[in-house]
Amino acid sequence: MSQDVFKIQGLNLWYDDFQALKGIDMFIKQNEVTALIGPSGCGKSTFLRCLNRMNDLIDDVKIDGQVVYHNQHIYQKNYDVINLRTKVGMVFQKPNPFPMSIYDNVAYGPRCQGLKNKEQLNEIVESSLKKAALWKEVKDRLKESAMELSGGQQQRLCIARAIAMEPEVILMDEPTSALDPIATLKIEELINDLKENYAIVIVTHSMQQAARISDKTAFFLMGELIEFGDTDFIFSTPKHEQTENYITGRFG
Amino acid sequence: MTSLEKIKSSLKSIFRKRHKREYIDIAITKFFQLVTILSASFIIIIVIFIAREGIKPFISNNDGLGRVDLVSFLTGTTWLRGPTFQSNLYSVGFIIINTLYIALLSLLIAMPIGVLSALFIAKIAPKRLAGFLRTVVELLAAIPSIVFGLFGSSVILSMVYNLAKLFGVQSPGGNSVLATVLVLVMMILPTITALSEVAIRSVGKDIEEGSLALGATKTQTHFKVILTSAKSGIFASAILGIGRALGEATAVSLVAGNARSGPSFGFFEITSTLTSTMLQGLKETIGLDYDIRFSVGIVLMIVILITNIILNYFKKRIGQVYVK
Amino acid sequence: MSNKRKRYDFIMKTITYVASSVAIIILFMIVFFVVRNGTNLLSFDLLTSDYHSHVYNGGIDPVTDFSQTSKPDHLTDEDYYSQKWGIALSDGEGKQGEERVIVSFVAEDSPLNHMVNRNDSNDEDFQIKEGYIIQMIKFEGRQSALEIYGAQYMINSLEEVDTFRELVFAEVGGGIRGSLLTTLYTIGLTLIVALPVGIFTAIYFNEFANKNKFTQFMRTLIDTLTGVPSIIFGLMGLAVFVPLTVRYTPATSGNILSGSLTLAVILLPVIIKSTEESLKVVPDDFRQASLALGANHTQTTFKVVLPSALPGILTATLLSIGRIIGESAALIFAVGTAIKDDISIFGKSTTLSVHIWSLLTDEPANIPLATTIALIILMVVLGLNLLVKLLSIKFMKKFS
Repeated sequence: MSQDVFKIQGLNLWYDDFQALKGIDMFIKQNEVTALIGPSGCGKSTFLRCLNRMNDLIDDVKIDGQVVYHNQHIYQKNYDVINLRTKVGMVFQKPNPFPMSIYDNVAYGPRCQGLKNKEQLNEIVESSLKKAALWKEVKDRLKESAMELSGGQQQRLCIARAIAMEPEVILMDEPTSALDPIATLKIEELINDLKENYAIVIVTHSMQQAARISDKTAFFLMGELIEFGDTDFIFSTPKHEQTENYITGRFG
Repeated sequence: MTSLEKIKSSLKSIFRKRHKREYIDIAITKFFQLVTILSASFIIIIVIFIAREGIKPFISNNDGLGRVDLVSFLTGTTWLRGPTFQSNLYSVGFIIINTLYIALLSLLIAMPIGVLSALFIAKIAPKRLAGFLRTVVELLAAIPSIVFGLFGSSVILSMVYNLAKLFGVQSPGGNSVLATVLVLVMMILPTITALSEVAIRSVGKDIEEGSLALGATKTQTHFKVILTSAKSGIFASAILGIGRALGEATAVSLVAGNARSGPSFGFFEITSTLTSTMLQGLKETIGLDYDIRFSVGIVLMIVILITNIILNYFKKRIGQVYVK
Repeated sequence: MSNKRKRYDFIMKTITYVASSVAIIILFMIVFFVVRNGTNLLSFDLLTSDYHSHVYNGGIDPVTDFSQTSKPDHLTDEDYYSQKWGIALSDGEGKQGEERVIVSFVAEDSPLNHMVNRNDSNDEDFQIKEGYIIQMIKFEGRQSALEIYGAQYMINSLEEVDTFRELVFAEVGGGIRGSLLTTLYTIGLTLIVALPVGIFTAIYFNEFANKNKFTQFMRTLIDTLTGVPSIIFGLMGLAVFVPLTVRYTPATSGNILSGSLTLAVILLPVIIKSTEESLKVVPDDFRQASLALGANHTQTTFKVVLPSALPGILTATLLSIGRIIGESAALIFAVGTAIKDDISIFGKSTTLSVHIWSLLTDEPANIPLATTIALIILMVVLGLNLLVKLLSIKFMKKFS
């Protein structure tokens, strides 16, 4: 039985007066892909960003409830957020490589942690790019600017960058919505490979994508977690009417 | 339509009877166009007329004083050898070096202060403090150069004089390279801060978030990612800053000391710049002493032009790392 | 987080905080210096009196009616009063520390109000006033009372006589009325020239011109003006506008008009740019609606577009005024540095900024007066800037 990496209980979040998350109860397991689906504005991205405390960056955000990572409440006072983020990586919707070389992008995280040894860095860069299925394409131009890569390559670079930190969990916020179908496919294959070593939580607009790659699916609607369970069950025999309506395309 | 018919038809439409209001439009357009041409022509006027006066010393006899030799003018180390109004041995060579030296020093000091201030205002300071600082910078930018000159010649000069005494150097009233640099730093700081702030603010939030999501601290994010992303804009602020430093006249001439020979590299040495030289001893309005100021003006314009070209070339190379 | 990283963080943060305080310190130092040293001389008199001192020689016809006014209450023990002559004198100091006798009060019925002007020139301003100084009084058969003897001696001498041969008094000067007036004239003339030319150019670019290479070329030419230092504009003014005005106006050398024309050229790019920005903000829908109603281009521009762009033009104007007041290098060349009391636009004079320059390049430099003028300039310029900021916020609110 695989471990719970994250356990979320009664999570509420307000943007000023607007309540964006209402009493979310959920868990994320190791070596699984958990998909978060739901119509626009339902809170899935907001929820995702709670897991690595990226919502801290927004003004006027209030949170209560529990988010437990490895038996630690991550929202307690004095919790080491920086450290959390090294263990829980994030890939964004729009690829956001730094305006530096490919090598420097991947080496950025480790360097921030104080790693200077060139050999170690080379190793990390190579293995991360390999795991992100990008090594072959860029191994001869590591010193070139990351901005020269195509959209799909940039996104894989961002994944490599996150992997370089050797996280446990990788959060992905609609990672393929800005990419063409071929690049999307490549990333989906990558996710399938990655789940052997990481827990992945992916927000996706596409139900087909969720059905294809995820083990568990969570359906959000207007800030509430309507249904959460094994992907096969959710898509074949959803318990709630709203879930069924969404999946069959009646709305969203 | 046959070609003849085509010609007839277009002639007809060109020469048709027009509304009175169309004529008004045509007249106004023409009038505005003339005004615009006038506006655009000023830069040409400037170049032509200054060149005309400024070339005179090199090609005319200067009322018997003889031609000024262009090469020694551009390379010499003494402003005027021989008595005033009786000699044609002018040189600005050392003054060019002084000007560049002082401008570069000022930039070197003002850049870190300005860029860090911009970073603070854009990313670190709470909103109200940021607004306050922004206003402070804007007010500093609005202070006229003569007021800086007054402040410089009163406060800065005595500061430098006392500082020199501490080092055992006897400074003539404080006029020095150091005083000039300090005054210029105060004057170009607002420019650098304001433009760098714009550059920093325009760095995408996603880049900032990407860095934080990797477990970098805020400070690391600022210095490793944000400042590097804003490189191009920050460089642009430096170009503008050095332009101002090269062209500043009244404030500099009140603290430089008007060295007659040089170049001066020591911090407590008196010095002179192209602009301060132009302002020196403005008494006569004819003769070589008058015309030579235009020549110095030409040199100044060329120095600024070349500096801009070189710096812009470097800016392009720096900007190659990214485009956003 | 490792200790090394914590240290790095801390050091960088500290350096950043320190750097950010530099700007505040500089602004504070300058303002403090100007305010502390400049308020001494600041007075209404300063703004209205002449800069150059005038010396007057007065005589007096046999006096029949002496003054009846007793010593006014507002005078102190430092003021020595002669009831007979209706005048109070006190001791003071001149700029170089020399002794001065200052007129602190003149009664309405003082016989000194009817002195006879012994100067050659027919001065309309011949009148002894408060604030003037008395340099000496020459008596019949008595020792003259010189200013170094002090006010009390002078008053005592006056009390003992019924007439005198000559009273030499002077208006000390050091006022800035001339420069103040010059500044106002310059602002007016410059704006009269620069605003229409700039606005029309901007209108042409934004509303009438076709986007072709020629237009782009003109834009580039105007853009290059922004990088030119003002001293170069001064040279241009000297080479172009001075001869121009000398030829076609009563001017005989650098004058206010040539200076204003020079400043107009300096301001041109700023005005053009601001106006263009304001024009761009006006939505195209307005223009299309107007044209669809059958108006022509000109009417559309002047009746619909321009009024909406007025706030931006106003802002540009206020900023230009600040720039005009502060400009020095260009005017030093295009006008000259001679401080004058009677002002004509075809004659030389100094604006407030150039006046400071003139004072500072004198031997010895008159720093107190220079600082006072700087205080006035700062108040106006900084005030204008804050005003522009407030207006921009107000207009932002209006349009959003």
